[in-house]
Order: sequence, then C-alpha cells, then structure tokens
Amino acid sequence: MRYLVRGLTLVVLAALTVSLAVPTAPAQSSVPEYSVWLVRSSVFKGVPAGAFMPDRAFIPGSTNPMNSQVFFDLPVNVGVIKSPDGKEIILYDTGWKQQDYLKMTGSINWAPLPDQLALLGIKADDVTKIVIGHGHWDHAGQLSDFPNAVLYVQREELRGIEWALSYPFPAIKAVNTDKGGCNRTPACGYPPLTLDQIYGKVLAGKAMIVDGMMEVLPGVIIHPAHRAHTAGSQLLEVNTAVGKLVFGSDAYSSWEGIRDWMTANVQQTDTVQQFLAYEKCYKITGGYQNCVSAHEPLSYSDKYPLTKNWWVGPNDSRLAEIALAPGEKTRKP
Amino acid sequence: MASRKPPRSGVRAARASDGAPAAAPREAITVGSVGIRRHAPRLKVTLFTGVVLGLLALVGFAGWREASRGVPTASARPSLPAPRPAPSPAEEAYAHSLWPIHNEVKAAALKMTFGGLNYKLHEIDRAGFRDRVESARAVYRRAAARIELLAPPASLVGLHDEYVQAVRLYQEAAGEMVRVLDDGKEDHLATAFPKSQEAGTKLLRVGQVLWPGEYVPN
Repeated sequence: MRYLVRGLTLVVLAALTVSLAVPTAPAQSSVPEYSVWLVRSSVFKGVPAGAFMPDRAFIPGSTNPMNSQVFFDLPVNVGVIKSPDGKEIILYDTGWKQQDYLKMTGSINWAPLPDQLALLGIKADDVTKIVIGHGHWDHAGQLSDFPNAVLYVQREELRGIEWALSYPFPAIKAVNTDKGGCNRTPACGYPPLTLDQIYGKVLAGKAMIVDGMMEVLPGVIIHPAHRAHTAGSQLLEVNTAVGKLVFGSDAYSSWEGIRDWMTANVQQTDTVQQFLAYEKCYKITGGYQNCVSAHEPLSYSDKYPLTKNWWVGPNDSRLAEIALAPGEKTRKP
Repeated sequence: MASRKPPRSGVRAARASDGAPAAAPREAITVGSVGIRRHAPRLKVTLFTGVVLGLLALVGFAGWREASRGVPTASARPSLPAPRPAPSPAEEAYAHSLWPIHNEVKAAALKMTFGGLNYKLHEIDRAGFRDRVESARAVYRRAAARIELLAPPASLVGLHDEYVQAVRLYQEAAGEMVRVLDDGKEDHLATAFPKSQEAGTKLLRVGQVLWPGEYVPN
C-alpha cells in the first residue's frame, strides 16, 4: 500500500512538473490580418534634395553619399487596406486629381485612383473608409470619387488650418506669401478646392472628426501625430501577416528619414514631433522596416523592401503588394 | 662502347658511360606530358598576359559603366516638361495686380467653407456662422469691384472672365448659405456647395496659368 501511495505521488508530481515545464500553445490571435497594397498616385519630378530633406541638400564636391543627390523624384503613395472578409476597404490618403495641380508641380504618371484600385479588384463604391494623414492638397484630393467612404480627419487638423487663416498678423495668416511658392506658411497647402473635398464629406454626413487615438476596426488604429507634419497629422496602424504596419503620410515623408533619423518635408512641422512619430513606428512595429512612407524616393524597389513586390499600373504608375489576408489572392500579374 | 638507344619518354638515363649517375638531358625529362620545361616560359608569359588583359578589360568596363551612369552634378537635371513661354510684360503686370485680390478671395473662400463646416459640426452657433459668411461676402464684393478696374491684355481676357465668374459663384454660394439663418434648413449648405466647388476649380485653373508656383509639393 505504501509503495502504491508513493508511486501515485510520484506520478502526480511528474505530471505537474511536465505541465508546468511544457509551454502551452499560444492563444490564437483574434486580431484580423488585413491585405495591404500601396499605390503610387503620381510622381513629383525633380524636387531639390534639400527642399525635401534639409540634411540631404546637394553639396558640390562632397563625398558624403547623403549629399550627392541633386534632385529627388517623389512618389505620392496611397495605402489600400482590405479586411479579410472583403467588406471593408480603407484608403490611407487619396492623392489628388485636378490636372491643374499636375501642371503646376511638374508631376508625371498620374492615374485616377479608381482605375488603379480596379487592378486590385476594388470598385470606387466599395471603399468604406478613408483616413487622411493630413489635409494637404496632395493627400485629400480625390475624396469625392468615393461616395460611400466615411472620412476620418483629426479635429486638430481643421482647427489648425482655421487658426492660421484667422491669425491677425498678415505673414502668418497668408495662404501664400509669395506667388512663386507656398513658403510653408501655417495655412499653406490647403487650397479651397481641397478643403471643399473635406467639407463635402461633412455635408454628406460621411465624416468622422477624430480626437486623438481611435480604433477604426479591430487591428486598424489611428494614432495622433499632431505637428509631426501639420497641426492634426495622424498615423494608421494596420495588423497584417507581415507584422504591424504604420502608415504615416507626410509625417513619414521619407522612409530613409525614419531609418536615419532625419527630418523630411518640413511644412507646418515640429521636427521634435516628427521624430516622436518615427519613434511610434519603431515601438509599434519593432523597427523601421514596416513604416509606410508617403513620398519615399526608393519606393517600388528592393531598396525599400516593404514595396519590393511591385508592378506597373495605368500611365506607368506603380502598385505594390505588401501583405495578404488569409485567403486573399495575389493581385500581382 | 656499345651505342645506346636514346632513352624512352619518361625514362631517365640511369648512368653515364663511366657509371656515375648522369644528369638527365633536359629534353628527356617528361612527367606525363611532353616537353613542359621547354614550353614553361611560354606558358607563363601567356598566362601573365591573359591576366593583365583581363584586368584591363575589367577596368575599362568599370570606367564605361561610370561614364554611362552619369555623375550627378549641380547642372544635371532630370527630364522635366518643357518650360512655359515667358509671360509678356502686360501679362505679368496683370498677374501682379490680380495676385493680392486673389489672396483675399482665396482666404475668404476658405473661411466661408469653415463657416459651413463648423456650423454643420455644431462647433459654432448661428451668430458665428453669420459672421464668417458675411465677412466672406464683403471680401467678394470688394474683390469684384477691384477686378472690374483691371484691364487684362487680350491674351488673358478669357482667364479674366473666368476669374470674374469664380468670384460671382462665391458670392452666390455665400448668399445661399446665409439663408440657413432665415429658415434654419441646413439644405442651403448643400445647395451652395457645388457653386463653391466650381469657383474653386476656376481659381485653380487661373492660378495654374498666372501663378504656376502657387502650389508646391506638400
């Protein structure tokens, strides 16, 4: 009897030890994994390097590779996010469409966003949500092409623009201080036609005015990045099979800037806030690889690995497949 | 002494005629191939020449690659659209005169839009809404009067008319918006909206011609 008891005790102890030692299988994640593509809406040609990134201004005769480039060609990148069940299509930024802007800015390879989405099997009417990183004319310009989409914009963005317009000192409230350029005044970059795009969504009852952080969908989260580019800039975190991505619009104008800790595309930018926005990507994703940039010149190449899976779209535009939800088929030809 | 046959290939002559070990004639030494020693200097030269030529070819190729890539210089520019023809003095003068009016019209349009936007979002009350829209209307009235005094050159008459229409549309939009205060119906905002949009499109079109640097990449 004594031996039986001892034997049973040993068995129980052994079982307890094993159950504690063997790691349990991780609980299955309940956060959906989204499909993500990046679309190049157009290209700004020949932007002086120093105008884009002050620390990379061209220096004649310099042997520093950071100062050897005279101009950048900047893509205008739009994020396309699709839920696993296909019912939610989210755009992050929407470029712009007025041809007059193209003529003004020397842009090339513009294609209508609905035509580009068609290559991903998406119709304009299917888009359910649009999150604009900020309200500048080249990021909030095709909202009216997506009539069913609810616009998400930070209240702080709208307040910032109106504050600037109402400021008593002329040089600060001016939309343009110089007809030759924008000169980065506080109200610069918001032409009437672009603000009307936002206003149109408000009038249609299809606008969500965001105060800070907000979960748009499970696994899709808005993070404020106020003054990282404009007064009410916002980032978008998206859960995918390749890890979390963070879209940053112009707070993340340059992916190399995020990697090398350089400011980029200084507009109404507080560079400290921009660096804190970079940090946010590092914290959310574990590094800089999954930070999605709006204007990175290396986009759609192996040098920006997130976008290496690319192909050509209408008018020599570009699309890149970043991640696929379970069951989603590739759209790359 | 008996004559000796010449040694076979691969066979060293073991002994000299006096019995002492004899140095093998150079011609006779072979190791599985014929006459390496005889051909060794030529082979070395050939190999050396080949290596040198290969290195030269590599350097030449690298130089060609560098030259064809093109080193960026301050004067190197990407291919951009052909520059616009320079405006005439009269065109420049007209653009210069219209610019301050345009700045005021643009700012007023933005403030008027914010009036409607914030009223719709219940961020401002009726009094605040009225102030914004009426102040924009005043700017449009003054702008219309000033534009009437401008004399555009013949080449810009069409553009001038378009700008006049834009200001008129903004006035009409403002007039429609303030009707909200009469009957409380926010529908007037939606009715005014297309006029504001069309006016904004006209401003952009005129600006693209007269002030091409008005909007830069943001």
